[in-house]
Amino acid sequence: MFKNKKTLFSQIGVFLAILGPGIITGSVDNDAGGITTYSVAAAVYGYNLIWTLIPSFIVLVVIQEMNARMGIVTGKGLADLIRENAGVKVTFFIFIGLLIADIGNTTTEFAGVAGSMEVFGVSKYISVPIVGFLIWFMVVKGTYKIAERIFLLFSVSLLMYVVSALMGKPHWGEIGHAIIHPQLEINTHSISMIIGIIGTTIAPWMQFYMQSSVIEKGLKMKQYKYTLIDIVVGCVATVVVAFFIMVACASTLHAHGDQILEAKDAALALKPLAGEFASQVFAFGLFIASIFSATILPLATAFYVCEAFGFEAGIDKKWDEAKEFYILYTSILIIGAAIILIPNAPLIAISLWTQVINGMLLPVVLVCMILLVNNKKIMGKYVNKPINNIIGWGAVIVLIILSLVLLLMPIFTTGN
Amino acid sequence: MNSITTFFLSRVIGQKAFDTDNKYIGTVKDLLVDPDSTLHSSGHPVVNGIKIRLKQQDAFYSFQNFRIEKTNGRIKIICSQLNELSADQISNSLYLVQTVLDNQIVDINGRKLVRVNDIRLVTIVNDTFAVAVDIGIEGLLRRIGIAKPLKFIGSLFNASIPAKFILWEDVETIDSSSSNIKLSKSYKKLQTLHPSDLADIIEDLGRKASAEVFSALDDERAADVMEELETETQVHILESISIEKGADVLDKMPADEVADILDALEDERAELLLNEMEKDTSQEVRELLVYPDHTVGSIMSSEVLSFNQNMTIEEVLIELRAQKPEMETLYNLFVIDENEILLATFSIRDVVISPPDVRINQIMKPSPVHLRDYQKINEVAEIVSKYNLLAIPVVDKKNVLKGMVVIDDVIEDLIRKRRTNK
Repeated sequence: MFKNKKTLFSQIGVFLAILGPGIITGSVDNDAGGITTYSVAAAVYGYNLIWTLIPSFIVLVVIQEMNARMGIVTGKGLADLIRENAGVKVTFFIFIGLLIADIGNTTTEFAGVAGSMEVFGVSKYISVPIVGFLIWFMVVKGTYKIAERIFLLFSVSLLMYVVSALMGKPHWGEIGHAIIHPQLEINTHSISMIIGIIGTTIAPWMQFYMQSSVIEKGLKMKQYKYTLIDIVVGCVATVVVAFFIMVACASTLHAHGDQILEAKDAALALKPLAGEFASQVFAFGLFIASIFSATILPLATAFYVCEAFGFEAGIDKKWDEAKEFYILYTSILIIGAAIILIPNAPLIAISLWTQVINGMLLPVVLVCMILLVNNKKIMGKYVNKPINNIIGWGAVIVLIILSLVLLLMPIFTTGN
Repeated sequence: MNSITTFFLSRVIGQKAFDTDNKYIGTVKDLLVDPDSTLHSSGHPVVNGIKIRLKQQDAFYSFQNFRIEKTNGRIKIICSQLNELSADQISNSLYLVQTVLDNQIVDINGRKLVRVNDIRLVTIVNDTFAVAVDIGIEGLLRRIGIAKPLKFIGSLFNASIPAKFILWEDVETIDSSSSNIKLSKSYKKLQTLHPSDLADIIEDLGRKASAEVFSALDDERAADVMEELETETQVHILESISIEKGADVLDKMPADEVADILDALEDERAELLLNEMEKDTSQEVRELLVYPDHTVGSIMSSEVLSFNQNMTIEEVLIELRAQKPEMETLYNLFVIDENEILLATFSIRDVVISPPDVRINQIMKPSPVHLRDYQKINEVAEIVSKYNLLAIPVVDKKNVLKGMVVIDDVIEDLIRKRRTNK
């Protein structure tokens, strides 16, 4: 008590203590869906889509900062705020969309589990049920907090993609050139890739997740500076990992003209090009990322839906106290895992439609957020500064235009 | 026309209102009730105002001249005369849509927060009351507009949609939307809850609401609730409420608890609170604050009862009656010399079973088990369990009695450790 808090050492201490929300969110961001999107995009377009990471990064930081600020000032979750200020109908629309998209996302995570274990020669009929059960057990038995920390530690392994990328001997000159002067043909496929990359980097459910973790940490406005650092570090990590995944795939798969559909294909295709080790590193990263997100995603989704509609929720509650919450959570997990186990399940279509729903949901959630964060009654003196609004609205407009183009293009062009 | 009409708030909001000549006068936006329901014989708050929007203009009218008619399931709102409400009446009313609908309220019997999906109202003769809040799935579906078709489908399969209502007298609304601090709400119903339940509810409320509800509690109750709150909420509340209120609440709490809270607070704020608190309490707290986190001194309670060994049981009892100590303080009684050095202990049992003229030194147990103020906390649990003690005296290096560690504090510390390991 009454000690001098101005020393560097204790400042680092404060930072480590509040560290988390941004970095965890950033790690969950590079989930199976993300890795798939980045690898496929790079295999098809080489280095030419890497530039999309730069606007994604800016928008990601701005959005997460708004979430953190709302969480700190109000102490309320985003679902709560939307319900209280936008009424039942908007809430219902958002959460039905969120629920469907997240079931699709969970399916993608299990596809990641199945795919990565297949690289190591484990059948999906073994890996998916075991992983699914372990996740369910861990969460319901309340060891979630330990798990979260272990995962966070493991998520450092995502940096292994750097190794994978370097083993593919990328051409740095070309990368730099492609970022500044990308050579890209505008068509349905390239636009849907761009939306895919943005949509997977800025997934709608993460806004809810971010705000809740800030509240759970009990952060205060005085720690805002550190929270901001936490967010930026998390976003940098997200984008750096995404960058190296894209480089790894572009410098090998694209250079040899290999086409892939899933992240697993990327891991397999890396083998002859960059060696067995690079391939296994890629698969291991995919496995960890998939489990991490398959744990958090169904849990988070069940939590927000219950929060918005006024059911008891939380893993600290007993089954009887929060029946709706547990049923919802278990269902999302079971449906997600079961779809993977159906022989010849249309996984590509599922992941595509999930991304489309995510892409349509994102502008709606963002509009709600920007309206909330500009509301003086809710935020007091901590309403948005003009720069936040310019970037926020800019992102909304661009996303809406891109989504509309994507939805309308198939009508005008055939055969895609 | 029936003299009793029941209807849901959601059916009225957004409806068009007409005058007696069937002329459109605007759209219903909100209903206002008199929040002090205890004033009415029915115990239910009466609707006293209505917010009507006409051509982007909002106006508040007295509900006296409004009638809600229900014919063949259709709702019609008719007004015989428009009387504007005074600003005073408006500011003293509770807005059903703005502050209750979709917001969280406290379910007094369930002792938790619930979200309001709809509100049930009833018109009896000339008055309209808010009777119950709907927190069930049916209310949600009704709001979305799919309750009726779903109910019909359900009836084919003999299934029903769960409906859940709570009577108005069993809920307490929480007004966190308005930024103007008006005549602070009393939250009378919340005062009946157990402090731990109330603490859980306050933790679940948003920032603004938690501080508002807390400051509405009387000091004694607020102190009990404060003890039960998580550290983060304690800090948030002490930073939000006035220094005077904060100090009054802390004055009512045991010094060791206060020291823990102030430890988590910013130094500046803690200093302000200490200066505002009563002298002797803050002095005690200041002494405790000196001890580092992991030492016995930081968790010990400085409220102890100590006696001179030559006192009789009779004198001890007189002293106890005069001091009226807390339950915990009676776990162990101490004997000290004129330099406050710990000599022995005796229990309340010893006092009860001994004749009044016996002196303490005849019943006391000399050279008691004790702790040092700078000893590590993790050694305490073992000692407590080894000697089956409810409370252990704490002395400094000169053997001066400083306080005691009560079993509760040890358990609390163990639980906290387990939780952070999780």
